[in-house]
Amino acid sequence: MSDRPFCDLFAQPAASNSRLPALVVLFFSVFQTRMRFQKTPAVRTVPVAVHQPQPPQDFVPESQLQSMPAITRDTVPAISVSGLSHAFRGHQALSNVSFCVLPQTLHGFVGPNGAGKTTTMRMICTLLQPNRGEVEIFGSNVRQNAPAVRRRIGYMPDHFSMYRQMTVAEYLDFFGTAYGLTQQQRDRVIGDVLTLTDMEGRRNDLISGLSRGMQQRVSLARVLVHDPDLLLLDEPASGLDPRARIELMEILRELRRIGKTVFISSHILSELADLCDAVTVIDRGQVRYSGPMDLLLDSTDQQPLWNLRLTTVLPGIIEKIKALPGVAEVTEPEFSSGRDFIIRPAEGLTGNDLLREMLSLDLPLASFGLQRRHLNDAFMDLTTRGVPA
Amino acid sequence: MISGTTALFVWTLRADNRSVWPHVVRGAFAFMMLFTLALAWTDAFGTTRIGLRFFETICGLNILIISVAGISYFSTAVTEEKDAGTLALLQLAGMSPLAITLGKSTSRLVSSLMLLAVQVPFSFLAVTLGGVLWQQLLAAWCALAAWLILVANAALLCSARCATSGRAAAVAGSSAILFFLLPAVTRTTTAAIPPGLLPNAVLTILTNLPGALEIVSPYRRIDQILNDWQNTGFFSSQFTLSLLLAATCFAVSTLRLTAWARNASDTDSQSGPAKRRLPVERCWKLPLTWRDFHFYTGGWPFFTMKFLAGFAVYAAFVAIQQVSTGRWNIVLENDFGWTAMLVYASVLTVEVLLYASGSLFSELRQSTQSTIAMTPCSAVSILLQKAAGCLIAVLPAVFWSMFTLAVSHTSVTTLVDMDTIVVWGLMLIFSSHVAALFSLYTRWAALPLTVLVSFFAFFVIAGPVLTIPDVVDRIAITHNYRPSRLFAWTITAFWTWLFTLLPLQLWIRDQWIKLSRQ
Repeated sequence: MSDRPFCDLFAQPAASNSRLPALVVLFFSVFQTRMRFQKTPAVRTVPVAVHQPQPPQDFVPESQLQSMPAITRDTVPAISVSGLSHAFRGHQALSNVSFCVLPQTLHGFVGPNGAGKTTTMRMICTLLQPNRGEVEIFGSNVRQNAPAVRRRIGYMPDHFSMYRQMTVAEYLDFFGTAYGLTQQQRDRVIGDVLTLTDMEGRRNDLISGLSRGMQQRVSLARVLVHDPDLLLLDEPASGLDPRARIELMEILRELRRIGKTVFISSHILSELADLCDAVTVIDRGQVRYSGPMDLLLDSTDQQPLWNLRLTTVLPGIIEKIKALPGVAEVTEPEFSSGRDFIIRPAEGLTGNDLLREMLSLDLPLASFGLQRRHLNDAFMDLTTRGVPA
Repeated sequence: MISGTTALFVWTLRADNRSVWPHVVRGAFAFMMLFTLALAWTDAFGTTRIGLRFFETICGLNILIISVAGISYFSTAVTEEKDAGTLALLQLAGMSPLAITLGKSTSRLVSSLMLLAVQVPFSFLAVTLGGVLWQQLLAAWCALAAWLILVANAALLCSARCATSGRAAAVAGSSAILFFLLPAVTRTTTAAIPPGLLPNAVLTILTNLPGALEIVSPYRRIDQILNDWQNTGFFSSQFTLSLLLAATCFAVSTLRLTAWARNASDTDSQSGPAKRRLPVERCWKLPLTWRDFHFYTGGWPFFTMKFLAGFAVYAAFVAIQQVSTGRWNIVLENDFGWTAMLVYASVLTVEVLLYASGSLFSELRQSTQSTIAMTPCSAVSILLQKAAGCLIAVLPAVFWSMFTLAVSHTSVTTLVDMDTIVVWGLMLIFSSHVAALFSLYTRWAALPLTVLVSFFAFFVIAGPVLTIPDVVDRIAITHNYRPSRLFAWTITAFWTWLFTLLPLQLWIRDQWIKLSRQ
């Protein structure tokens, strides 16, 4: 048994699941990019041992696989949490929580209210000492190396914590100084983070006069001011309007692109599903799932469903598809325009086989892909109903 | 309206009942009896007026506590709803301004009157001890209750008018200081003005103003009651006028609440970017010192203002001295020197206590303590940096105190010796620690509790502090060594720090770390 069981989930693709190698490969394609903010290349902190990936089985171009690095047991995780337990006045907030966040990924952290998300986050960011268990940030134990760990992480709490009397630039200047940056470094980095968060034009505005979405951007800029490798964002999208949320997600994508590891807790599951490479689901202080997002959304006890979209509406096409030998069932999704079909293949049929059969009908194919579960469904399956006592 | 008011009233009383601190404060008030009894016994031993001395002390303490605590407690009655953004919700829930002011202030007033009531049975001990009649006791309690009601409603008015708790407390505090200082200042000024300098009408107003203000003064009324056993009517002019003024304040608060709340909300939610008019310099190497100095104490503009105000006060004293003695002299003589010193020392004390009780609390209020804790600064460094920021802000008051002491040394030392000044300094440092500590536990009571604790601590600390230099002298002399007074005071400062300040400092640090992790 490995001492990092959850990291193994990433390191060893399950041979029984034919889609997993492809998903893992796609998942770690972000390693291709180089960090803009890091002074040295990402490989400095992430010793990735490159090995030949598993041969593809479904829809993964050969060229893409050749250049793909893989994660092994030697990869130092950005966050490694093992056996974390904590109780507040007799209430067990966390119970043997273990999971792992890989570097340069966007990792979602979801759970119902009171599940233990914020407690876990505060332990990861050194603010709270667990009763039992260990947390390591890029291999450094948070208990033993708290000051060093703090320099590598940026924590954005779930509440607004800002000096409202300061201007945006003063606020960032203050935190830059607190992190020991020189004036030249501060000038440069404040400009960079304001550009990244699209707040350059508001640098001399008082924080008290900013909208909630803008204040959230300033908080994000503050988190980035000392150029941390790991960002811990606790409910960054709460209370934001749809536009501000979408813009925030864009910024987070950009952060991942430049090589940051982002650990984000949120209740907005639809956005997390699109955004995150991996997810940890926690409920009543226990981890229900931790691993790649794709694996969670694709995993189902039944035969996988496939989604077919045509470019035009063809009358009677559903009967033709049903008549194919490899098709067990065909349905139209709710509110369909007549061009989308959900297909359950016959027992043992692969995606390649099914696609071949579809092509034999000479259909005007727009897209063909796996019908994924929504994260909401997965979340509801994994978590218990009701508020913990 | 009645159901809403009752709900708010009951809710506030329940919250008060559930919280530990109000009970602690009530316990402290009951304990105060024992202390004042001991004090009176020591002070008036062998005389037949121990009871009078005992009750005088109780009254003095109560006036002080009502004035300080009332301002901080009642000035947040409405502003706490404004701060939390719930005032509009209360209005949406159908609560009228009367229901809000009644519900928010009456419960506080009742719990404060309970603080007075808890002392009444114990105070009857004064009758047994001698020197005071039960009629005098009841009349004095009535005067105190009237003063409490006036303070409560005046602070409620500030609370209704101002947009934030901080502003309300500042306005109420300034008004109280003005109320207590104005009679003495006006009398001194009027006496110093040569005849014919001011028009008769102005002079008449100035002459009558102190008397008019003193009608509602609790000090004057208590003095009347305790010095004249026949003047013990419950419904004196002080009592009636205080209640009338309180009712006026309450009526104005209620009638104007909606309009003032609307104005505050409009100002708060004004659209468009908000810009600061005066620029603030770049962050210093000690960021929290910079932050506290510029954004908590007012920065250079306020610093300069305080410095110029200090100069103006000194210049005023010099001018009054010139008018009364007929010769111009920068050195303040006779009563002028120590009066000026007293003014500066009072300002310094108030400033230090305000900053001490608010500096850490301002971080808690803005929920920034955990964000700061995430920086590489240690908790001790954070606390020291914040203290440094506040210390820079009190430099004008320190400068003018030192200047007065240095220039008008003769006048100052006629009433105040160096030992007293050192004890005052040590007490100020002690009180600032206590205020900082309380601000980490309680929302509104840090300042009044500090006053209460410092009062008792004075008797515990001042004795040893004054004795240690003499003990050091004696020990040194037995070893054929004659130390300087400075050496003796250094030893005293060290022991005071070790046994009094260090435990408080460690306590503040631990509590700060605990709060940072929440």
